[in-house]
Order: sequence, then structure tokens, then C-alpha cells
Amino acid sequence: MSSNNASTSKTTPNSLKLDEQTREQKPPQAQLSSLEEDDEFEEFAAQDWDDSKTELANLGGANPGDVRDGDKLWEDNWDDDDVEDEFSVQLRNELAKTGQGTTGVVGGPSTGASASNDPEAMQH
Amino acid sequence: MPITFSEFLTMIADALSSQQGLNLAYLLRPTSPHGKDLIKEFRNPTRNLLSQYEGALVAPWDDIAISYVLVVNAVAKNRPQDAFKEHSSLISSFYRYFTSNNGWTLPALFAILRDLRDIAHDADVVTHKTESMEEAARIITKAFANCVADRTSPIAESRKWGVYYIVGLVMKCYFRVKRISLCRNILRALDANPDIPPLSSYPRSHQVTFRYYLGTLSFLNEDYEKAEKELSLAYYHCHIDSVRNQQRILAYLIPLRILRGYLPTQELLDRFPTLRDVYSPFSTALRRADIKAYDLALDKWERRLIDLNTWLIFEKARELVMRGLFRRVWVASNKSTRIPIHMFHCAVRVIGMRVDVEEVECFVANMIYKGLIKGYISHERQTVVLASNGAFPRLSDRKNAFTINM
Repeated sequence: MSSNNASTSKTTPNSLKLDEQTREQKPPQAQLSSLEEDDEFEEFAAQDWDDSKTELANLGGANPGDVRDGDKLWEDNWDDDDVEDEFSVQLRNELAKTGQGTTGVVGGPSTGASASNDPEAMQH
Repeated sequence: MPITFSEFLTMIADALSSQQGLNLAYLLRPTSPHGKDLIKEFRNPTRNLLSQYEGALVAPWDDIAISYVLVVNAVAKNRPQDAFKEHSSLISSFYRYFTSNNGWTLPALFAILRDLRDIAHDADVVTHKTESMEEAARIITKAFANCVADRTSPIAESRKWGVYYIVGLVMKCYFRVKRISLCRNILRALDANPDIPPLSSYPRSHQVTFRYYLGTLSFLNEDYEKAEKELSLAYYHCHIDSVRNQQRILAYLIPLRILRGYLPTQELLDRFPTLRDVYSPFSTALRRADIKAYDLALDKWERRLIDLNTWLIFEKARELVMRGLFRRVWVASNKSTRIPIHMFHCAVRVIGMRVDVEEVECFVANMIYKGLIKGYISHERQTVVLASNGAFPRLSDRKNAFTINM
């Protein structure tokens, strides 16, 4: 039967060459293959397994997906107040130029805009 | 030593009397070694020729055995359409036995349905159509009805333990031929049968496959909340050696998590280099609030993201980068509670975007509406008045991260 599966058609029939047992036993480099459209969700080699064979085992008891509970696959706090990159410097310079590097209380109705050197900030 | 047809019949009879489902699955699999023997034994078999064996086994197993010979022959002769027809008929005979017994034959049922799907695929490759796959989905759907209808078996041996595997397989068929809207019927049927054991009590392979397809379907229907829930469960319960399946799940889950305000850590990305290549430019840009890098990544990976169906998510997540940028203005202003709009405008121009100040005001207004910034705009004074506490809430704290992004 195997000889008949040496198909020359462009789309290789995926079936009947391997049963699901052998299909799963591909070498680990399979993970490097790209996510092609036809590359679909595969049959699992095993029917059932326990937590030790899942990502749950790496959580140390944390709630899946819960960063603050200790799930280290994700992070939810990347806001940084001490960035000193080129952009920060440029930004500070620009803000200083406008004379509005720090604003205290905004004055009367028109001062906010009129204090600006930025013509586009003019109102109406 | 080749196995003869009469030996094959005996083997089936043995499997039946000892109720060995896995053995039965093996016997009915077209790829099993005895299939080759039977091809040699019957050079040009027809149903007519084989009718002499009717009654050789208790019905419907005589028909099933005959169909099996016809299937392996059609496969060997590279006639997938004939194979599909014969295998369909094998399955319909099998259903006759299946429905009058408890669930011990489920392993065999799964095997023959899987083979049906594979043969349907081969048949469609020949005809360049999708009719066999759609027919396969309909045949497999009948198995669903046959499983849920089990009202008599004790729960441990119930045919109901086949339900989720079958639903997963039906969805797999429709996904293959891109008729995903047809999945709705079987999902509706599932909802209409509340007396099915909870999903978490099924084998993990069934759970994960079902959740993957349900999550993906929800993702494509832009029900992101449900998609994230199902795909998360699929990922965390997936077998760690099934790296390709994990990768499939994460291809959707990572973008969803990003939109929710969770970035994948380097550790996670490094385990999936294919995903890292595409997704890390976005998470890096988000981390640095670098809208330029983000836009470059959107441009560079557009094709790939469209193929992965995740372009829309990254388009939506762009606003989160903008939020980061505005946050940096706020930090540069010593976290003042009043920031003139033109300062945001200024920041936008520093990074090289040419937009009007009105547009920037509009950005800010949208972000306030979506809860990305806490405060209000004094349009008259062209000033954003920020909350003194938590002016830029942590993204993951948003309750409405998905709904409001619609």
C-alpha cells in the first residue's frame, strides 16, 4: 500500500501513510517548521495525561495566566518611569522648548493656549 | 505469515467477544499490516463477489469486514473516491452495532472516523472539491447523535465519552475546507444536550482539541473573551511534548494576551522560535512604547499576520503603544495632573508622525473612553486633566479590555 502513496500531486495526501501513533513521533526539529495553513492541529499520541505532562507543572501552583500569582510566561507590568533613551531626551528637550516642561496650575481660560509656541495648538 | 480473510474474521470475532476496543480499532485500520494481505488475497474484489461471506460473522460485522476489504483495495489502487464510498458504508454498518452497545467500541469508532476524514481529504485532492470532506463531517456528526443518545449504559461505559472527540473532529473537517460557519450546528447540538459529563472529566486529548477549535472559532468570530479563555485552557492542558500543537494554540493566544495587557516573556517566546520571529518585534515595541518600531513591524509582518489571522489584533493593539507613548509624556512632565494637549502632540511629532493637534486630542479622548487613561479633557483650555491616582492604569487591570476594543 505504501507505494501507492508516493503521490506526485501538489498537495500531498496526508492520510494513510502513517497512523496517528507514528505521526506523533517526529523528531523535535518539527517545532522549527513554520505555521503553514495546512499544518493543522495534530492528533495526540496519548489519550490522557496528568498535570506533570502539561504546562501546569511549571506554574508552581499559580493560577494559569495569572502573572501576579506567579505565572512566569507573561508579564503585565512593563511601564517604566526611568527610561533614559534617545526618545526621552528628545522629548524632554522638546517639552522644555515649549516652556511647558512642567505645568503647574493652568491659568485663565486663554493662557493654556497662548503660552504655547506651537502654532498648531492655537484655538479656533 | 499472511493473514487470510477467514483469519481476519476470527480476529474480529475475538475482539468482539473480549470487548477489546483498541484491538478492534487496529483491525479496522486500513494501514494495518493485514490490510496488505487481504489485498493479495482478493485481487479484484467487489461487493458482489464478497457476498458469499455474508453471515460468516454476526451482523453487521460480516458487512463491516467486507467493506474493509473494499476500502483497503481502493486505497491500494489509489482510488480515494471509491475508498471514501466504501469506508462510509463501513461506518454506517458500524453505527448499527455501536448504537446497540455501550461505549466499549469508542476507540474503534474514533479510529474509523479519523480514517474517514483522511480518506475524504485524499478524495478532495483528486477532485479539487470539498464535497467529500463536507460529507465526512455529516457522517461524523451522526456519531455525535449516536453517542449522546446513550441513556442506558452505566456512566463509566457510556457512549457519551465519545462526544467531545467527535465534536473536535467535525470542527477539524470544517476548518480543513474553510467552512467554519458550519461548526455552529454541532456546537448548538452540544449545548442542547446538558446531560453530558463535564468537559473536564474527559481525556485531556479530547479537551484540548475541542478547546483549540472552539477557541479558534471564537477568535475568528472576534469573540476574544471566549477565545482567550478556551485557548488558555487548551494551552495549559496540552501535552508538553506536542510542541506543534502548543505552537498552534499560542499563535492565537499570544496576540490575545497582548491585547489584554499581558506580554509573553522572553522565556516563553524562546521556546517557540517561529512565533518569536513574528511576535517579538511587537512585544518589544510595546515594552518600549516605540510606535515607530511597532509600525515598522506591522508593515514588515503584514503578510504573515494575515496568514495567521492575527493582523487585526495587532492593529487594535497599536493603541496600547500609543498609550505607552502618552504615558512617557506624563512621566517627562513629572506626572503632572494637567498636561496640555500640545505636549502630547509634540511627542507624536518627535517620533515623526505628522498629525494635527485635533487628531491627538481625539486619540486622548478615545483612550479616556477606553479606560487607558483616567481623566478628562478640557477642550476649552486644551488641557488633559488626569486623575491624581492611577492616571495610566495597568493594562491588565481593565475589565473591558476586549469588549471596548471592538
